[in-house]
Amino acid sequence: MKKYNNPVGVSKFTGLLLISPFIIGSILFIIYPFVCSFVTGLTKYDGIHSPEFTGLKNYKNMLTNRHFIKAVGVTFKYTIIFVPLKLAVSLLTALLLSTNIKGIGFFRTIFYIPSILGSNLAIAIMWQYLFTRNGLANQALELIGLDGVSWYGDDRYALFIIILLRLWEFGSTMIIFLTALKEIPREYYEASKVDGCGSVRAFFSITLPLLKNTLFVNAVLQTISALQEFSAPYMITGGNPMKSTYTVGMLIYDEMFSYHNAGYANAVSWVLFMITAVVICIMFRLTGRIRKDIP
Amino acid sequence: MKKILLSVVCTLILFSCGNERVQKTPPDNKLNKCTLRFSWWGGDDRHNATMKAITLWNARHPNIEIKAEYGGWDGWTEKINTQISGGSEPDIMQINYDWLVTLSNDGEDFYDLNELNKFLDLSGFNEDILSFGTVNGHLNAVPVSLTGRGFFYNSEVFEKLGISYPETWDELMTTGEIFYENGCYPIDLDIQSGGTAWYISVVYVQQKTGREFLDMNGNLGFTVEDMETVLEFYKRLEENHVTRTVRERIDADGNSALYQSPEFIQGNIAGVLEWNSAVGKYESVLDKGVLEAGNYIGDENGNNSGWFVKPSLLYAVSANTKYPDEAGAFIDFLLNDKECADILGTSRGIPASRYAEEELEKTGKLDGLTKQNADMLDAMNTVTISPYMELSRMKEFYNMAIERVSYGKGDIPEIAQELYDNITEYLESIK
Repeated sequence: MKKYNNPVGVSKFTGLLLISPFIIGSILFIIYPFVCSFVTGLTKYDGIHSPEFTGLKNYKNMLTNRHFIKAVGVTFKYTIIFVPLKLAVSLLTALLLSTNIKGIGFFRTIFYIPSILGSNLAIAIMWQYLFTRNGLANQALELIGLDGVSWYGDDRYALFIIILLRLWEFGSTMIIFLTALKEIPREYYEASKVDGCGSVRAFFSITLPLLKNTLFVNAVLQTISALQEFSAPYMITGGNPMKSTYTVGMLIYDEMFSYHNAGYANAVSWVLFMITAVVICIMFRLTGRIRKDIP
Repeated sequence: MKKILLSVVCTLILFSCGNERVQKTPPDNKLNKCTLRFSWWGGDDRHNATMKAITLWNARHPNIEIKAEYGGWDGWTEKINTQISGGSEPDIMQINYDWLVTLSNDGEDFYDLNELNKFLDLSGFNEDILSFGTVNGHLNAVPVSLTGRGFFYNSEVFEKLGISYPETWDELMTTGEIFYENGCYPIDLDIQSGGTAWYISVVYVQQKTGREFLDMNGNLGFTVEDMETVLEFYKRLEENHVTRTVRERIDADGNSALYQSPEFIQGNIAGVLEWNSAVGKYESVLDKGVLEAGNYIGDENGNNSGWFVKPSLLYAVSANTKYPDEAGAFIDFLLNDKECADILGTSRGIPASRYAEEELEKTGKLDGLTKQNADMLDAMNTVTISPYMELSRMKEFYNMAIERVSYGKGDIPEIAQELYDNITEYLESIK
């Protein structure tokens, strides 16, 4: 019997055959659209008629387009505020849910539910009940003697109701933290207790250092999704008021589907991809030594 | 060599990215067994009536099944654009007037309905009406009805305040003040998909100057000064509390349409400026008979010109359909069939087809708000709206300008100049 030089003992052809669905799928649904999108970004194309090659014109137009520059600003503002908040909320909840109290499974399920709801029409309506002029949030503020806030109408606050929606959907991030927390040996905490270490000190000296890599993974995942944010502002505010919640994702959608400007939309998509790649590279670079320095 | 290879690959990709024009299936002049997709947007009243009409068709033609695809207006254009880009559009579509400019500017991208005359009878339409759907000599779509935006008021609120419906701009401003003292507003103007804030202000300037904002070929008739007057007039409407400010509107309703707003349903907003073919959705959320058609507003000399009319909706057939005859037969049923006309009533406005209109007249169904408003339009000196006026990019320009005026972000002359520049540049780029 012929022996093959691999642990499972199959031929190279069989191996390729077995992974071919993945390879074909990647070529068809990732690599082809990726290249196609880049090429379309070099054209004037309305999505219906034949494209016309225009070189880097779409990219040049972007640099002078006020809406694009504003959308990039909004997207960065959203990402910078949202990502640290999301990590903090998820970690805090994971810490609470890592205790062994009765019915903890029920609480974990309850806290995960918002994540599977997404930003659909029902959520948009619920947010209106909460944050419009006579909504529950303003009623609560008035109860404690504060003035109501113009959540939807004030360009200083509108982004926060989007951030709040995404914060509320902290389930997946929390689950990743929860799993990592379970991996930390109990003995570390017991030893620290013997040495007179309090829970806050234990958190900063044991938990946080041992969660560094998980924290980084979550930070990367959340940064990518924040930079690509589309559905929450689309459903909740429509980018209003004064484009203060108008993200790059919304701009791509509008250019592509509302304004028949597929060439420009694809060029913006590529710029968003490059921005995301650069941000993630910077994150890797800045945290490289800290991540490696695991006790 | 590598460069040549790269350019060949790029050319191939570029070619594959673009949609090739599909060869139309020629009519075979017989009705074959098939399933056709039919899409439309609208409110519940239109959905219910159309579903009943489809049931009637399916009962009469068991071999030609119609599958319905419908929804609200918001996001509908984007949905159809996506379908058409991907070549997966329905066989029969209810389309908007401006889509002829964006989707078929050479007349080749919808089926030429003149070719379907074996099953589609157009003898009930006059030539002027059909010209709205003709592009480059191809009949791309048949107008279902003509419509105009009119004022529809909550009669109970007006009665309670003892005010009659305004007939002049000055009366409108006074009405705003009286309503405001009572904690409500006579109408509501939006900067969303409807864009009524811009619309009413343009009508005011058209009436005042006699100039058309845009002609049918997309030539701008307004000057920068006219744009300034438009924006100043809108500011006056807000200052006189005729409408809520943009901020007040967003604060109260979020991203919702007015007919879904508690403010409208409870009567705090007592009127709407809406197409007479789409007023049903506002009517249906109030008690029967509460909403009444108001007069078109004019100046103190009785001049009420400048108001727009347009084909409310049009039916088009996909250029990619495999069953053009069957699609033509179904459109004929929707437009001309007497029983179908009875079912559809005025859910898409007063039918442009003579046969459907006669049937509704005979059965006494040609009444209600749509009819009252259409009669008013008939008696007026109206302006046919340019399809360029309703393009999404143009609406974006108007709405941004109105929003800036409302939020006080910039001086009106500066905003007007910017708006003028944006519009002229855009129109030049698409013509």
